[in-house]
Amino acid sequence: MPARLIPTRIADDVFELQVRTPGEAQSLAAVLREVAPAEDVVAGLDRVAIRFHPSRAHQVERALRDVTAENKTTPGTAPPIEIGISYGGENGPDLTSVCEALNLSTDAFIASHTQRVHTVEMIGFTPGFSYISGLPEEFSVPRLASPRPRVPAGSVGVSTRFTGIYALHGPGGWPLIGKTDAKLFRANDKNPFLLTPGQRVKFRAL
Amino acid sequence: MLVVTKPGLQATLQGAPRLGYRHFGIPYSGAADALSLALANRLVGNSATMTALEITFGGFEADIAADCTVAVTGAIDRILISGQSAPAHTTLHLKAGDCIAISPVIRGCRTYLAVSTGFQAEEAFGSTSTYLPAQLGGLNGRALKAGDRLKSVGSPVWTETLETPKSHRPVFSNALALRACASAETDLLDEADRKCLFEETFFAGRQATRMGVALIGRTLSPNSDGQMKSAPVFPGTIQCPPSGTPVVLLCDAQTTGGYPRIAHIARCDQHLLGQIRPGDQIRLLERSPDDALRDYAEKRKLLDAWLMP
Repeated sequence: MPARLIPTRIADDVFELQVRTPGEAQSLAAVLREVAPAEDVVAGLDRVAIRFHPSRAHQVERALRDVTAENKTTPGTAPPIEIGISYGGENGPDLTSVCEALNLSTDAFIASHTQRVHTVEMIGFTPGFSYISGLPEEFSVPRLASPRPRVPAGSVGVSTRFTGIYALHGPGGWPLIGKTDAKLFRANDKNPFLLTPGQRVKFRAL
Repeated sequence: MLVVTKPGLQATLQGAPRLGYRHFGIPYSGAADALSLALANRLVGNSATMTALEITFGGFEADIAADCTVAVTGAIDRILISGQSAPAHTTLHLKAGDCIAISPVIRGCRTYLAVSTGFQAEEAFGSTSTYLPAQLGGLNGRALKAGDRLKSVGSPVWTETLETPKSHRPVFSNALALRACASAETDLLDEADRKCLFEETFFAGRQATRMGVALIGRTLSPNSDGQMKSAPVFPGTIQCPPSGTPVVLLCDAQTTGGYPRIAHIARCDQHLLGQIRPGDQIRLLERSPDDALRDYAEKRKLLDAWLMP
């Protein structure tokens, strides 16, 4: 029997529930979108926030009483989608410092990054930005102390064992290791998002 | 119906927030000062979130190509109709051939110009509001340029003339006190930093965008290793990156972020975020979440008497 979750109030109009994994967060968010009278339900990597209209505080709190954390997502079976990355140089200005921090050669980093099968865990931040897991424990890199005001669209960053792809031009706090031509967000397409949670990904060095 | 001749620093079409798409990374957008938008719409017979013009720092001019009924609210210095001074917070009946000029503003940041029945705009993900980074909504998802022609959804002429009651007109100053609640990672601050956050004065950073405003002051040091897992953020969230300079997020706020969330601007004061200009003094007044909701209900009641008669 999964344990009950205790909501934290992280704003006057937002509750948050802590879970263990991105899969649990995605599953719980999907359930809450059905049962909670919320304005918005947003999953993080290990939590779910429920923003509500101020007049609905009590109804939302009641709806949160009975939810539990369970991963109901099914592992992706489709073959991994391939994403080409041009690593380092102007396209990945932080690759050298990331590799220094990890005590790895850039070749070893690229080999490791391209050999693994990664998994899309979450879309968030800005339209189409994808949080992709698959880096090993020892590849944990912190975010930049100050976010960059301008990160070009297609930039690929790493942080806390995740690979992130900036779908749009904009500010960003992840160290950048490369750039892809893949279009993660096409506003006018029937399917605007190239990647969805659960999808598997392989990176290829360009 | 209205032809932009000078857009100013940044003019966009904004209406309702784009609710319900944050899990695809799509921000809310909409008016940075939703109250001023609602007040402008009220004066031309529209519902609160109909699409209007959001003008940044004034300096906007347009030619009127057909008779229309408009109203201007938000940050105002002077409004000129064909050279004659015109009042803010009042229904204005413009004639074809008129021109309207909104002077640069010295207090507050954003001005709202609403037209009866609202401006035509593209709808994307359930809203007409412009989100510039992804070119969604508005006019081709972009900021307005000289020569852009804007049309109204229906007949732009309305015969009534209204004035916002004096008691309901927001007054903008260069010093703001914003009610705020502690948030998920406030506990990462030590006692001295927490006291600083809720008691000392900060100054708005130079880059006051629709995405966020830096709060410059004594730097804070949340006890974080920079390895926090990305978590949901919203307009109103105050994040603190390792640099120690907090950033308050506005209407175009990203949907998730990995910096500690050290406070959250209470819903009742979020409309004021859209009026912060670089250099403004900002103080946070701590409220419990329940007190903040009571403050919201109180403000809402006062405003609804005018906005939703």
